Amino acid sequence: MNNETYTEEATLDTGAPRPEVAAGPKPAGAPATSPNHVMETRNMSIYYGDFRAVADVSLGFARNEISALIGPSGCGKSTVLRSLNRMNDLIASARTEGEVHYHGTNIYADGIDPVRVRRTIGMVFQKPNPFPKTIYDNIAWGAKINGYRGSKANIDDLVQEALEGAALWDEVKDKLQESGYSLSGGQQQRLCIARAIATKPDVILMDEPCSALDPIATLRIEELMLELKRDYSIVIVTHNMQQAARVSDKTAFFNVKLNETGMRTGRLVEYSPTEQLFTSPNEKDTEDYITGRFG
Amino acid sequence: MSVQAPERPTTADYFPTEEEYVGLLGRRTRRATWFKLFCLGMLTIAVLALATLLYTIVNDSFGLVAVVNQNEPEDIVAGLGHDPETTTLGDLDYDELVGLLEANVSSGVGRRLEREQRFYEDRLVFEDEATWTEICSSDAPPTGCTAGPRDGANVLALVQERVVVPDVIASYELVPSMLDPEAFEAEVMAGFEAGRFPEYTADQAQFEWRAWFSPTFLMSPASATPEIAGIRTAILGSLWLVVITVLFAVPVGVGAAIYLVEFARPSRFNSFIQTNINNLAGVPSIIYGMLGLAILVRVLEPFTSGAIFTSGPAPSDNGRTILSAGITLGLLTLPVVIISAQEALKAVPDSLRQAGMALGATRWQTVRSQIIPVAMPGILTGTILAIARAVGETAPLILVGAASFITLDPTGPFSKFTALPIQIFQWTSFPQEEFRNLAAAASLALLILLLTLNAAAIVFRNRFSRRAE
Repeated sequence: MNNETYTEEATLDTGAPRPEVAAGPKPAGAPATSPNHVMETRNMSIYYGDFRAVADVSLGFARNEISALIGPSGCGKSTVLRSLNRMNDLIASARTEGEVHYHGTNIYADGIDPVRVRRTIGMVFQKPNPFPKTIYDNIAWGAKINGYRGSKANIDDLVQEALEGAALWDEVKDKLQESGYSLSGGQQQRLCIARAIATKPDVILMDEPCSALDPIATLRIEELMLELKRDYSIVIVTHNMQQAARVSDKTAFFNVKLNETGMRTGRLVEYSPTEQLFTSPNEKDTEDYITGRFG
Repeated sequence: MSVQAPERPTTADYFPTEEEYVGLLGRRTRRATWFKLFCLGMLTIAVLALATLLYTIVNDSFGLVAVVNQNEPEDIVAGLGHDPETTTLGDLDYDELVGLLEANVSSGVGRRLEREQRFYEDRLVFEDEATWTEICSSDAPPTGCTAGPRDGANVLALVQERVVVPDVIASYELVPSMLDPEAFEAEVMAGFEAGRFPEYTADQAQFEWRAWFSPTFLMSPASATPEIAGIRTAILGSLWLVVITVLFAVPVGVGAAIYLVEFARPSRFNSFIQTNINNLAGVPSIIYGMLGLAILVRVLEPFTSGAIFTSGPAPSDNGRTILSAGITLGLLTLPVVIISAQEALKAVPDSLRQAGMALGATRWQTVRSQIIPVAMPGILTGTILAIARAVGETAPLILVGAASFITLDPTGPFSKFTALPIQIFQWTSFPQEEFRNLAAAASLALLILLLTLNAAAIVFRNRFSRRAE
């Protein structure tokens, strides 16, 4: 299931009216999406071959909020994140069960092109991965491939806007034609964020975006996230609990459970407003984790 | 070393003591040194082998020769009323050269030359008009009926070959020629006394330096007379082959590699294909020659002879054309091109693919704009090596039917052709000693051609990789 179809989709507007993912057939009896939620997962399980990596995750991500996914290594939080824009489809053995709703449409329904999903749900990765091109082209490319109709001047504006949005403009405005690799690690990560927001996505997924960065660069990215949440909904995976506590509005704690056959399957333990999760968690496991008793 | 012996050895006690360690370190260092020397020795052997190869080729390509001319060029020039001090054969005009041929060549040979390629657009020299019209309207008209007239260089070569008729009776290698030229003269004179050259007298022999590898050699067509034989036809044939090989192997090979690496999902069928590609890289080239002969020359003859592209007579009367040979060489290089392109593509970090896909690019947009530019230098390196290998291939060309003797330049993919390795192979099998010098000179030309092609490709590749950064 979920075999990708590589059709060149008709171009989408990159402008203000938010493109809705194509209306697939709505599953009968699906509960109505909470109006405040941009995305929701419903009983989502993810398998790698026969191995069930994550089981029964039901989460809702609110508009203009930062939602953090935390948990020990191997608990499947990155896997969950990558299933939110169907990046897991790139792994041949990966398979998703359950539903992931984006504005009420199941993005795993038949007839939904994953390319279209990723175009509205952008992603920033753990290690900065700019293209080996100029800073300018790194940002302009996403618009071009998505059918941006603007002139050269419009693209210039888009590049500037994206770099300003990623708080990078002042540092690179004089060297837009230099390679993206010439930047420092923290700058590269902000370039990747600029690249992601240049296509005007709706949701930005961030997979441990600061784990390869030094504390100062981390701080800048965190400040940036708080800026970005005014325009975007952000889901972030982090290893750093302080980071989750600092930036996120809601936090989901995942843990690894051994099942009967000895397989390690990740499960959602608790999902609460961040302050509540870190001060008075409902679950014993959460408390153990955030107080450093394990993990 | 240990201050207080523990009751039971701990894991740390199994490490060597200080003295033991120093001894061990010395042994390890010596072993490393020996290994380094061994590798250096192997490198020396490799360099020596290559140097010897080059030495042999260069040694045979230049040197002293003993020549006997049937007609001395000076006498010929003087006979036409020019000053032999200032004029050489090359200074004569076209009509004079044709006149020399007319005066010195038998009418039978003259007619044959004219049927091969005529001398003047508007008149015939050896044939009469009636016969010419008749043979040109026959079923199999000779090439002279359609080809344009000969040029000055061509006729000059004919005069050299047919009128001057130089005969190299002995040749000497480069290094002994430089060190001890008298020994060569003595050897030739001794040869005269021993009666090895019964047709000539000793005073006819002229000793001169001869560069077998010379501009004339590169520019002259093939000939049965070693003194005037050249490799222009073979060089052009090889260049045409490179063009066809590249045009076939690069798009097909790179396309297949991109599909296998970027698009194919792991399956039994795909791994079966992969295994077969890897095996094909090891198939001997003569087997590709068999394939080329059976499929391209025989089955696909209408295509490879150009018959299906024209309603008139086919450009070639059989499939033994540059196109057949080029595609055969392309097939030969294909597995190596595919494998090296695959390796280059696999070396591109996955993070770039994910970055592209996460922006909402299709797989192909990501591959085209982000993956291929990064992989390009690697793809080109593998392709260059594979093509260079193909340029030197002989066996498949022999099977596909490279012409053994051809003086007309190839004009397109449907021409008959010969190639440098074929020419070298044939010359080494000729009895006359001079052809060995020619083979050496042609080898030198082949090496230079390869170096030029490689250098050009590397420059191209470097410009490409700079642009990608």
